[in-house]
Amino acid sequence: MKRQSCLVLLMLVFGLVLTACGDNTATTPAQTTAAATTAAATTAPPAATTAAATTAAATTAAATTAPAATTAAATTAANATTAAATPAAPTVPAAPANNMTGTINWWHITTGEPGKTIFQEMADAYMKANPGVKIEITILENDAFKTKLTTVMQSGNPPDLFQSWGGGVMAEYARAGLLKDISGDLKGAWGDSFNKAPLDVYSADGKYYGVPWDMGAVGFWYNKSLFAKAGISAPPATWTEFLSDVKKLQAAGITPISLGEKDKWPGHFYWVYLATRIGGKAAFDKAFDRSGSFADPSYVQAGEKYKELIDLKPFPNGFLGLTYNDQSNLMGDGKAAMELMGQWAPSTEKDQSSNKQGLGSDLGYFPFPMVEGGAGDKDDVMGGGNGIAVGKNANPAAVDFLKYITNVENQKVLAKAGMALPVVKGSEVAVTDPLLQQVQASVNKAKYYQLYYDQYLPPALASVIVDSVQGLLAGTLPPDQVAKAVEDSAASELKK
Amino acid sequence: MLKTDSFSSRARSLEGQKILGYIPRYVISIVVSLLVLIPLVTTALGGFKTNGELQSAPFDLPRAFLWDNYSKILTASNFWRQILNSSIVMVATVALILFIASLAAYIFARLNFPGRELIFNFFTLGMLFPLTVAVLPLYITLRQANLLDNLLGIILPQVAFSLPVAIFILRGFFRGIPMELEDAAYIDGCGSFGFFWRILLPLSRPALATVGVLNLVGSWNNFLLPLLVLNKEDLWTLPLGVMQYQGQYGSDWASIMAFVTLSMIPAVIFYFLAERQLVAGLTAGAVKG
Amino acid sequence: MQSSLGTKSTPIIQPVQRRRPRYGRIFTIVLFLLPAAAVYIYFVILPIGQSVFYSLFRWNGLGPLENFIGLDNYTKALGDKVFVGALSHNLLIAVLSIVIQLPLSLVLALLVARHLPGRSVFRMIFFLPYVLSDVTTGVIWSFVYKPDNGLLNTALRNLNLGDGQAWLGTPNLALYAVFVVMCWKYFGFHLILYVAGLQQIPADLEEAAKMDGASNFQVLRHITVPLLGGTIRISVFLSILGALQYFDLIWVMTLGGPVNASETMATYMIKNGFQRFQLGYGSAVGVILFLVCFVFSLAYQRMVLHRDLAGSGALT
Repeated sequence: MKRQSCLVLLMLVFGLVLTACGDNTATTPAQTTAAATTAAATTAPPAATTAAATTAAATTAAATTAPAATTAAATTAANATTAAATPAAPTVPAAPANNMTGTINWWHITTGEPGKTIFQEMADAYMKANPGVKIEITILENDAFKTKLTTVMQSGNPPDLFQSWGGGVMAEYARAGLLKDISGDLKGAWGDSFNKAPLDVYSADGKYYGVPWDMGAVGFWYNKSLFAKAGISAPPATWTEFLSDVKKLQAAGITPISLGEKDKWPGHFYWVYLATRIGGKAAFDKAFDRSGSFADPSYVQAGEKYKELIDLKPFPNGFLGLTYNDQSNLMGDGKAAMELMGQWAPSTEKDQSSNKQGLGSDLGYFPFPMVEGGAGDKDDVMGGGNGIAVGKNANPAAVDFLKYITNVENQKVLAKAGMALPVVKGSEVAVTDPLLQQVQASVNKAKYYQLYYDQYLPPALASVIVDSVQGLLAGTLPPDQVAKAVEDSAASELKK
Repeated sequence: MLKTDSFSSRARSLEGQKILGYIPRYVISIVVSLLVLIPLVTTALGGFKTNGELQSAPFDLPRAFLWDNYSKILTASNFWRQILNSSIVMVATVALILFIASLAAYIFARLNFPGRELIFNFFTLGMLFPLTVAVLPLYITLRQANLLDNLLGIILPQVAFSLPVAIFILRGFFRGIPMELEDAAYIDGCGSFGFFWRILLPLSRPALATVGVLNLVGSWNNFLLPLLVLNKEDLWTLPLGVMQYQGQYGSDWASIMAFVTLSMIPAVIFYFLAERQLVAGLTAGAVKG
Repeated sequence: MQSSLGTKSTPIIQPVQRRRPRYGRIFTIVLFLLPAAAVYIYFVILPIGQSVFYSLFRWNGLGPLENFIGLDNYTKALGDKVFVGALSHNLLIAVLSIVIQLPLSLVLALLVARHLPGRSVFRMIFFLPYVLSDVTTGVIWSFVYKPDNGLLNTALRNLNLGDGQAWLGTPNLALYAVFVVMCWKYFGFHLILYVAGLQQIPADLEEAAKMDGASNFQVLRHITVPLLGGTIRISVFLSILGALQYFDLIWVMTLGGPVNASETMATYMIKNGFQRFQLGYGSAVGVILFLVCFVFSLAYQRMVLHRDLAGSGALT
């Protein structure tokens, strides 16, 4: 009896809560009767129901209320900066007091330290200087962020500031009118403070919708002692050398390349880089403006060269089911000799390694090898970085705050923490890590800088690319069909 | 027709034979139990290990019980907040479903009016839609109703998507309650609501328990909807916490296992408390006619 | 159909009717149905209606709906190898559930339903995975299946059964590996249903048959299972419906991969609708998914469940 009254009470309470919340569906029944209860409660177990019907209903609950659990997916994706712990995180500079007011929603994906704290400190510093501003930070894990952002965007309600990789995905949002054009704000000192190339990644149709805070390159990160163990004296400069080094590593019983292809984007780097080396800028430009095609020989060849590598089986056991985190872990724990990854690789490796130390001085870097006879330049670079896009409803305070977090002092803070290759002039000096300096130099040297396809191209095309390349890696799609699948999608997604 | 375990004397005389028969039954049951428990127990124990130990000897007992992974989580406020949020959502969802669904089920079970079956079928049609299918339009609806970043934005859709099944179960059960009771109630001056509230609901406890437990589990474990609806970390529910934790700690499996273990405990406790009700509910609901 | 309970045929002789004037009855009906109808229509029917509408457009989910293309999205889906593959995976899961999971649940239910001392402990253990969330289950089993030092491969090595496999990373194995987890998670639920059903079968009946010289198997074959028929038919129905809609664990564990090897209709829909910004297309896939479920449940109820559901007016 007691339990019943509890139940009744609960129902009432929540009926009231609902009504209080102003929802019109909560009609708390008004007609309570004070009539005497009959002897009913004493008798009668329920009799006439069909067993099946009732059981059915009970069971359906399992089918339909089964929790919708999702590990959000990462089809199109460059990766987040998962910053690793560095000793003594630098403190952020004071923010200017600009008498700004309003609320700023900021979504970022830096879940790790010290980045998480640094970003919070920046927000705190700004709010301190501008008491009328409230900055609400939402920190999301990379995959969850992508799932959530897509939904939020498609509902037409973007956050004020959010993580962006620029390129085609951002352009898609911009064309739908979901982003704020900040070209006007960028005219003058703020815009001039950026290096032009990284800033332009955040433009679409001649207008700017965001700014970068990090820009680097994808290249090979390798384990020096494992290379030495396999008798490799210098990093490979050509594809042929690269393949032979892979064989040497295998002969020494070492897994040559770490790859977490469940996430799909890590594997597509190879295909894009090979296409860049073989076809150069010209091939991509033609395919992109539709005077050429993604089924052109250079793209087919890129697949064929990639297949040469895949056929050597250089990847860890079960790489098709591993995530990027697993990939970093294998590198950080010294269980694989190299990985093709962006400038965030060292910090992610460190963060994901079992001892949280990573490889330390054993880690080396070399650019993607040249393919003999390719039309591209050996110094051409594929890469990208992190930035912040501005949602359509952002108030002036949001843009002002953005100015603050991308000022030269804050860029130096990020650089010193090892979580970014800065993009603002004058902050480069803060990069002290020799490997990151090497990456930085390669970016500066590049005559042709290609943003990773999965961010540069429209999302539908990008996901066909990463899906098809995964097929190549799994051996289910031959190189020419990969090129054809990509071209088919490009034909409908890229307008002349 | 309905009879529960009856021990006739003949049955007792077979007892000796039966004990022998138990042995293979125990063997099979124990093997299956182990298959169920091993992943769970190794997960719980894994939380006490270092990552190195977890890799080299996943099955062994921890060499030394390491409390760090667990205490790190238990001392952080967000874990407790997530438990609280999940609990609020769960209790509200279950209470609302029981209330709203039984009102409707009562009408479908006890009153006759033209178009009743049509309306009932309209409700049960919802069983064929998983929430996933309509998640985007649902999101837009929630935004228009100003329910984003609000626990009600999870509670109400959960209620809505669970209604078909709940109404279905409850109607079946309500029909089994004898007509005479209702007549008697009216003679005694009860209105429709009085009968419903004072007689029908108390009598239907087993069915309500079944619906309740099923939705309890569903609500506690829901992930997609909270992910989309809740931005503020203060409002996050436990499955979001697990996801975030896994994303953040990546390959730190020992920490992840500790978090997963802790997140399982409340659900397991609910279950142990409610298991009897659930079986009783299903059994009572399945009474044959 | 509504014979025993309906008041329609004999309205006048009931005191109920005299005491409640007609408008009062209508008032009651409306009042009692209103909360359910409001919530249901607003949060379920309305969004689904919108999905149907979107499915007729080529729409990236951003900006206005302008590009009306009729049924093109539907023909595109049915012509896509990956979608057809996903549909076949759904059917495969359904078949595996019926052939493997349900018999397993039934056998275990027979073992622990009655007379076995300690049965309630076993039941509790068997049902335990059902209360875990899919996220949790996915994380735990990702560790079990880890290729290098996961539980399963370590166990195989310790038993000298070879090095094991990359269970989730091998296209030919991934779907089966996930199916094992689905079995692990849901067999207990079906088991509880069967236990509930078995408790309704009078023990006398079985024992009488045994006294008449029937073997245990004969009793099972001719008495227990037939009497459990209703429960079994329902559990098959739910298994198939669940298999057609399956999403959660697959998404957590494989994202439908590798190379679409474990894709289901629901994962395909999320990928194409949301991640590729083809919301119109994704909606069409959602509608197809619904239609498949609808046709199946209609057919199943007409052909198999009609006896069990007679009079309850369930679905359709």
